[in-house]
Amino acid sequence: MDYTKQIREIATKLFTEEKIDVFVGYRTTGFDENQVPVIITGLEEIPKLIFNDKSVFNLTNYLKQEHTRNKRVGLIVKGCDSRSLNLLLTENQVKREKLFVIGIACEGVCDDEGNKMQHCTECMFPDAVVFDEMVGTTHDARLYQVNADVRELASKSLVERREYFETVFESCIRCNACRHSCPLCYCAKCVIDQETSTLYHGANTTSSAFHALMTWSLHLAGRCVDCRNCESACPMNLPLHLLHKQNESVIYENFQEHMAGVVEGDRGAFYKYSMKDPDDFIM
Amino acid sequence: METIVKDQHVSIEKPEIAAPPDWEPVIIGILCNWCSYAGSDLTGTSRIQYPPNIRIIRVPCTSRVDPWFLIKALQTTADGVLVSGCHPGDCHYITGNYYARRRFLVTKKLLSFIGFHENRIQFSWVSAAEGPKFAKVVAKVTDDIKKLGPLHLYKKENFEK
Repeated sequence: MDYTKQIREIATKLFTEEKIDVFVGYRTTGFDENQVPVIITGLEEIPKLIFNDKSVFNLTNYLKQEHTRNKRVGLIVKGCDSRSLNLLLTENQVKREKLFVIGIACEGVCDDEGNKMQHCTECMFPDAVVFDEMVGTTHDARLYQVNADVRELASKSLVERREYFETVFESCIRCNACRHSCPLCYCAKCVIDQETSTLYHGANTTSSAFHALMTWSLHLAGRCVDCRNCESACPMNLPLHLLHKQNESVIYENFQEHMAGVVEGDRGAFYKYSMKDPDDFIM
Repeated sequence: METIVKDQHVSIEKPEIAAPPDWEPVIIGILCNWCSYAGSDLTGTSRIQYPPNIRIIRVPCTSRVDPWFLIKALQTTADGVLVSGCHPGDCHYITGNYYARRRFLVTKKLLSFIGFHENRIQFSWVSAAEGPKFAKVVAKVTDDIKKLGPLHLYKKENFEK
């Protein structure tokens, strides 16, 4: 998957027709094959743009920031990114008429070793669902499957799971990089920080990590699109996807929902209800 | 579901730590103003006995209960949480408890997934006329939590407890 040529062509066209002010894309880091997001403002910077298997980041995160606010933005979205863009549009965080979206028919991105990422092998929606111009050949519909890690962990005993997650929460350094990198975390003041005593509750302790990560994942339940920006941002390499994929599987199995952000105007599983929802766990 | 340890004072999640023999569970009860809170009031005025381990918080509706409240309660002091509201169809705000029901299921499953017994958080529908049912629910929740033992939530730094 290498769409560098097509993306440079589209960006050139957009800048010459003056349809956009800034363009959000990927460039190489300069010292290895990995890529970082780049925001370019003119024709002369277009040779920086690149798109291939290493373009892992979800660029919709950059729509929240100052240098794209109130500007006409060109943007590259893969399948998962387009779903988070759909949610941001539904939640009135960005304006559709100010965006020019290049949708990618994604064939999966690779990690540092060049292997296909795990979530790309399980991806249900590789094609962008919101786009102005599509690049690549589209895929057929795929079936939902429960994440392999979640399935493996759920088969273990309660004590083993508690021990495993205790090490996870112990390793967390409460840097909040997961929250900052998440395209759907845009609250000006996060509920996790609303504490009377930050010295105690904001401290880097295991129980405060439990509180922060659990609250964060429950606030994203039904909205998380599994782009894994949080995991690539995490300095401690925590398996944050476990919490999100667990919520996703519960929602998918019990509420027969569409996946988050696939249908425009769909705000997620927690914003609607059905009379048929399971009731047997309630006394 | 996992087997419940018979010894009352051993935590099911951390069997290696024993609690003091006089340990009593702390249960936070989050009750909806229109049904369960009135139901608990009826229990009191009817002089029905129920365990004193529950500490009651009144909320306007069960859909006011963010999953964060449950996480926060467990993180700070509680060994278990009970959320109670109107029966489906009886909500004062018409549909509030339908929204809440979805959140409860996901919260319960996630808590169980990360290794805490899913009976640590429990839910019930209690109407304003069901005083005896409220007493039964509280007795059952207290009994369940006593069987599960204290919640050593990463206790080494949880010095508020």
